[in-house]
Amino acid sequence: MEKNETTIYSVQLYIYDLSRGMARNLSPIMLGKSVSKAVHTAIVVYGDEFFFGGVGISSCSPGGTMLGSPDTVVELGNTEVTEEIFMDYLSSLGESTYRGDKYRLFEHNCNTFTNEVAQFLTGRKIPSYITDLPSEVLSTPFGQILRPILDSIHIAPPGGNVINGRPS
Amino acid sequence: MAESSGTDPTVDSNVVENAAKDRTMIVVTVKTPKDKEEIAILEDSSVAQFKEEISKRFNAKLDQLVLIFAGKILKDGDTLNQHGIKDGLTVHLVIKTAPKATSGSTSQNSASSSGTPQANSSSSASSPVPNASTPPGTGPAIQPPNLLSGFGDLSSLSGMGMGSANFMELQQQMQRQLMSNPEMLSQIMDNPLVQNMMSNPDLMRQMIVTNPQMQQLMERNPEISHMLNNPELMRQTMELARNPAMMQEMMRNQDRALSNLESIPGGYNALRRMYTDIQEPMFSAAREQFGNNPFSALGGNLDSGVQPSRTENREPLPNPWGPPGTAPSESRGTGSSTTTSSNGGTAPSVSSLPNPLGINASGLGNGVFSSPGMQSLMQQISENPQLMQNMLSAPYMRSMMQSLAQNPDLASQMQNPEALSVMTNPRAMQALMQIQQGLQTLQTEAPGLMPSLAPGGIPGIPSTTGGSVAPEGPPPPTQGSNPSADVSPSQQQQQLMQQMLQMFAGGVTTTQAVTPEVRFQQQLDQLSAMGFLNREANLQALIATGGDINAAIERLLGSQPS
Repeated sequence: MEKNETTIYSVQLYIYDLSRGMARNLSPIMLGKSVSKAVHTAIVVYGDEFFFGGVGISSCSPGGTMLGSPDTVVELGNTEVTEEIFMDYLSSLGESTYRGDKYRLFEHNCNTFTNEVAQFLTGRKIPSYITDLPSEVLSTPFGQILRPILDSIHIAPPGGNVINGRPS
Repeated sequence: MAESSGTDPTVDSNVVENAAKDRTMIVVTVKTPKDKEEIAILEDSSVAQFKEEISKRFNAKLDQLVLIFAGKILKDGDTLNQHGIKDGLTVHLVIKTAPKATSGSTSQNSASSSGTPQANSSSSASSPVPNASTPPGTGPAIQPPNLLSGFGDLSSLSGMGMGSANFMELQQQMQRQLMSNPEMLSQIMDNPLVQNMMSNPDLMRQMIVTNPQMQQLMERNPEISHMLNNPELMRQTMELARNPAMMQEMMRNQDRALSNLESIPGGYNALRRMYTDIQEPMFSAAREQFGNNPFSALGGNLDSGVQPSRTENREPLPNPWGPPGTAPSESRGTGSSTTTSSNGGTAPSVSSLPNPLGINASGLGNGVFSSPGMQSLMQQISENPQLMQNMLSAPYMRSMMQSLAQNPDLASQMQNPEALSVMTNPRAMQALMQIQQGLQTLQTEAPGLMPSLAPGGIPGIPSTTGGSVAPEGPPPPTQGSNPSADVSPSQQQQQLMQQMLQMFAGGVTTTQAVTPEVRFQQQLDQLSAMGFLNREANLQALIATGGDINAAIERLLGSQPS
């Protein structure tokens, strides 16, 4: 196989569990059940962290957003995709489906992005409990009420730089 | 690898041959960042062939295509089978923008597939390139300066001061920041999330209701639940909460208005007590909810963001009048006590205060407007025109309006759009304040003049230059000073003035001129056309005659004002 000449980059999924903050306190109140996992995820590869927020795709040093260090790190595997290809890919994504204004808290959020990128890089998806989160919230009546409100939320953890268009 | 050699134009023939040889076509989804296509290809095609198809479909050059599957870059020399690409699977495609950028990966391609004389002239063409560029292994290491120089800037990490790993800590830090920086709360309030949440009354109500402390509170004070169940009220409060500045003003207004309303015999004392009972527990409930970080530390700016209703953070409200004889009154909260106490003395002080308007307020209710609290309110209004509208729409003001309704004159005047426009005109308000002050001074200094400050004479006062009653210039020359210069502005001002004064007077005077000046505008114009250039006198005459031009003319001719 050509693997000898191909550089392998390991891909990780950084999971930030926001539930220590508000979800644990508020979710029983608001949703009637405990949604203990409100997560923000990011992909870490090539020594950088990439995530999608209200401003678009951003990158930073791993653990470099204001969320600090991740609560969980999941090894997604390896990829042969080089950084420049990845950057091209991200740029394309950032111009199309992952523009800042496309952020939707429920349907098209950071976890959506992470899932897609993970598949691109490794062929694997991120753990399903993360991607199932929106539907879990939406399945409650309160979630339904909240939905139009939350749809307009853009979560953009500060501490990253936005990837727009062409790199360099 | 027979098929790997067929990437020239012979591909098609190869495909045909292959098809004839009983190979199956598979449909593979090719996904780019922007879109995806389904491409049918033979299942044992090579990647190169696949790319051919793709380049046709996507209109991209072969060397721009990078196929990725399961994290692997598909090299031209590989087969789809090799990578396990089967029917229905998705392959990712990246269309490179610059062929040069293929250096990292295609160098490997060229290295590995150099043996295959494919029409990958791209790869052979690019093979010199990778030599020139960085070797693939160190690609990512060296590329970063170019690609990532704009990214991954760590400096912002510590910039926020939120370098903590623990989100709990983060929250506390946020709160601490909140305490020390009231601005932040307003920023939070500006956050669309919060605003949206606030704009949904059901949501807010539910949030409040489900707070255990609130539930306790509600048990103790059924009024709270009543309040919460009033959607109008909730909406009101939420609008307030949404706009911190408005909230702040509103709080002050409420304080003042309520303290004024105390003076209305009976009723609002009870109201006040009730709110005291409610406000304090709610405040402490809000405090507890936020982890015992009392918002009192907020420097008196804003109240809790999530508890919109009654939690008030009061700092002592300035009372410009510092009235004497303060009757001790219940404190309605922390800081408002000063105002409360000072305004609690409204009742006795109304009589002791020189009635600035020369008119005996017939009832305390009517004297509300002349109370110091009201005046300070007016002062604040003059600084913020928005305030007036907010004030008028506030739920508390509704009660006040009810009291006004008892005095229809007052109410009508209050609702008079003219009057409202006065109130919203800061300069006018200031002028009115000054007039009031001036009149007060006047009263103290020349009590003999008071009788002459009859309703009809009041409009004459501000319009000083006409010199009808002309005391020593009670109003600093905001309005009365240039009556002749700008006719219409002063006219309007006079109108507004008069209305305000009449309102101040508690409407005791008359229903003389609900909108005297507006009503008389035509007459005034006529009078001036006739040659009566003294607008103030005209106005007075008109008012005195109730708009009758002829009578007014007679008056004017009879009185011969200068």
